[in-house]
Amino acid sequence: MTELQGVIAGAMLALALGIYTFWPENAFANQREKTRLDYLLERKEQLYENLRDLNFEHRAGKYPEEDFLTQRALLEDETAQLLAEIEHLQQA
Amino acid sequence: MQKRMSGSTWMKAAQALLLAVAVCFWTGAASDSARFNNLSHRLMCTCGCAQLLGECNHVGCTESGRERNELSAAIASGATDDQILGSFAAKYGVTALAAPPTKGFSLVAWVAPFAVFAAALLGTILLVRHWSLGRAAASAQAMTPEMVALREKIRRETEAGADGGV
Amino acid sequence: MAAFGSFVLLIALALAAYNLFAGAVALRLIATGQPARISPERLADTARRAGIAGFVAVTGAAFALVWLVFANDFSIAYIAEHSNRALPAAYKFAALWSGQEGSLLLWAWLLGAYGFVLRLLHKTDVKLYAYAGTILAGVQVFFLTLVNFVAPPFSLLRGAIPDDGNGLNPLLQYPEMVIHPPMLYLGYVGFTVPFAFALGALMMRYPGEKWIKITRSWTLVTWLFLTMGIFLGMHWAYAVLGWGGYWGWDPVENASFMPWLTGTAFLHSVMMQERKGMMKSWNVWLIFSTFALSILGTLLTRGGLVSSVHAFAQSSIGNWFVAFLVIVLAVCIFTYVLQRSHLQSEQRLESLVSRESSFLFNNLVLLAACFVILWGTLFPILSEYVQGTKVTVGAPFYNRVAVPIGLFLLFLTGVGPLLPWRSTSLRAVRRNFVIPSIALWGTLIVCLVAGVKPWHDGSFDAGNFYALVAFGLSAGVFTAILSEYLRGANVIRKQTRRNLFSAMYLLIRRNTRRYGGYLIHIGVVIVVVGLAGSAFNRNSESELTLNSTMSVGPYTLKCVGFTQDSNLNYNSEYALLDVYRGGKKQFQMTPEKRVYLASQQPQTMVAIHSVPGWDLYVVYEGTNPDTGNPIIKAFLNPLVSWIWAGVIFIVLGTFVALTPNLAPATVALRVAAAQPSTAEAAVRGGD
Repeated sequence: MTELQGVIAGAMLALALGIYTFWPENAFANQREKTRLDYLLERKEQLYENLRDLNFEHRAGKYPEEDFLTQRALLEDETAQLLAEIEHLQQA
Repeated sequence: MQKRMSGSTWMKAAQALLLAVAVCFWTGAASDSARFNNLSHRLMCTCGCAQLLGECNHVGCTESGRERNELSAAIASGATDDQILGSFAAKYGVTALAAPPTKGFSLVAWVAPFAVFAAALLGTILLVRHWSLGRAAASAQAMTPEMVALREKIRRETEAGADGGV
Repeated sequence: MAAFGSFVLLIALALAAYNLFAGAVALRLIATGQPARISPERLADTARRAGIAGFVAVTGAAFALVWLVFANDFSIAYIAEHSNRALPAAYKFAALWSGQEGSLLLWAWLLGAYGFVLRLLHKTDVKLYAYAGTILAGVQVFFLTLVNFVAPPFSLLRGAIPDDGNGLNPLLQYPEMVIHPPMLYLGYVGFTVPFAFALGALMMRYPGEKWIKITRSWTLVTWLFLTMGIFLGMHWAYAVLGWGGYWGWDPVENASFMPWLTGTAFLHSVMMQERKGMMKSWNVWLIFSTFALSILGTLLTRGGLVSSVHAFAQSSIGNWFVAFLVIVLAVCIFTYVLQRSHLQSEQRLESLVSRESSFLFNNLVLLAACFVILWGTLFPILSEYVQGTKVTVGAPFYNRVAVPIGLFLLFLTGVGPLLPWRSTSLRAVRRNFVIPSIALWGTLIVCLVAGVKPWHDGSFDAGNFYALVAFGLSAGVFTAILSEYLRGANVIRKQTRRNLFSAMYLLIRRNTRRYGGYLIHIGVVIVVVGLAGSAFNRNSESELTLNSTMSVGPYTLKCVGFTQDSNLNYNSEYALLDVYRGGKKQFQMTPEKRVYLASQQPQTMVAIHSVPGWDLYVVYEGTNPDTGNPIIKAFLNPLVSWIWAGVIFIVLGTFVALTPNLAPATVALRVAAAQPSTAEAAVRGGD
């Protein structure tokens, strides 16, 4: 390949890439803003997972009963508050 | 080390670790071949290959053979380890030592890692202590009937079913 | 083809620059909500497509370079310097990264490839991906500037065009060298992706922690590449450098190890952020540092700042990297200061004895190890600056300072999984430690009885002492992890009445990250056992005549011939050694020494016979010039193969961790069983 051929090949590639980049595309992906509700629902999933994990570790014998009850109460409290807010937002 | 496993509190573990480190600085007398092995791994080959004298093996090295003979001769002459290392450092420069000397500014090289580690360990322990004390002060929420209902729902949904959910 | 290569590199730079600026403007417009003539979303999408097009352009350049190497076009300076006609095809690919210009192009290409995948997957979270893509483009602009203007791979040779090139560095003419550097680069470059996501999430004040879930597999894959790159490098050093070891604490090795340590710390501590919204600032800085360290690694390798056994491609390019590092840190600090209010922790640690605090300590130790290595690597420069004389910071320093820290880390690997999440009292978890402690002490006693004693010839032997501790801890950690698997599987077994194996399978599928992670820990334990074996290395050196013997450990080596050979690429000398054990001939070994014709550089080809207990490692040291007889050095290196076996577990564990979890059936069951309220139905609808 001579130098000229190389430059021509490069220019053709450049043209193709330019067309690809600036092609007036109307179907580009868009996204609505994440709301507080979306965030809370994500958080709920995580807290549920934490609770399931706590239950599992308890059954695997890694928690003494008393520790487990305190921890579960704390986590459930937190989740309950979260659910309350979710319900509130969903009714609004 | 015994304390570390049976007690397994973090402070004890740290103490044991420091003890282990202190112990490793302690070396004693040994046979000539062991001394050669030891010393040749505390010196660098000075040809610029950046290998330990005891491990320099590249072909045509102009330095390592002669320096190894020098080291054997020095051990045979009955010089102490420090004297031998000192004479190499004097002859070839401090870079002939594979690790920084333990005096002067170079001592900082040895002290800094342990100082930083100890400071960070202490800092972390204090931080966690501080956090856990702050947590204890937090009070419980008042229980409304709605909250109780929500908690029940949560428990239903997260307690494992027959398949033992993880 | 060279003109094509240069031209498309220029186009790639233009596209990356457009991606950066259009992306930045679009995101700014979206963030501030200012009215603009063009829809910012549309502008952002052209930026994204410019990124994809840029990858095609860089691919064109890389293809052009490989083409020219295969065409033996020695009018290109880079190819005359790094290849020759007789070079085998696989190593012609390796020529792409054996020099500075080529490896920078490889870096740009890999970054382009990561960016390509990322930009194709942008629908996962359009805005976050737009931020990450724009930041990647910023990094890409730097590397493409280098390959266009500072280290152009297609520049022509001045003067007469030679008939043949200088050839590839013989140290690189080894199978691993065709995969080790790309792996390591994939790791280095890959950390740009989690870095870009973290920085982007911080810039846009990403609500919640889901971005961590999105980046998790990127981080894990990158980490796996870096891990494999490091281990392949170790194996290469072991099999090629011929000094009997695999890790020399060389600055370049250290450079790859540092981002690995911070990356590993990040992988652990993001779990706390994901679960509990804790340690956000810490994690952001961990990933910033990991990226900065991988740039520093490149700087150390390429910049000639420190002396190293394998500084293959050094030049004054270091200043560019220093400038880039400063810009990166400035951007990180600026963004952090501006957005730090976004990183308030939602929760705090409750107890010193919990899984959380074990993660905290794990991070502390990993960072301490990273500091030790950084300190040791840079201390010669500091010393020269402060006291005017350079000092060497070599293996003895690291062995004394880093080994205890490593053992402490191993200890934590065992302790962490035994502690439950959230607070707990020491009393409560004590029984979890009973069996691992028994295993630890039992192993220590067995080792002492078997002759692994921390003293030697009446004096304390640090190597043996560490090995003893490492064996004990390894047994303890292994038992601890095994008990975790069994404990979990037992719960499932009881509730589902499955057999233990299928319960174990279900357990792993349910929480692939945790149990894959434990598998990685088992791999690490096996690697540590292998590393500890080095305390008992033995060697002997001897000049052999025909039918003479030498012995090392249980083996006797008998020289049955030595000869010379040559081909187009190299001349070689080798010895034929029959290996006897217990008076019986076992196998034959042929250690070899080659002299490559194009570069006139010598190279040892080590003969290695590997069994689980040890490696017999035989080096052809050279020929005695007076007698013409070969000088053979034989090493007996215990447990080396455990290192490579451990890596297999690490790789398997990472694959398990990358597999998506099998969702627990409990929620569906329970929700179906209970009468769903309207609110509940709404929640499920929103999921």
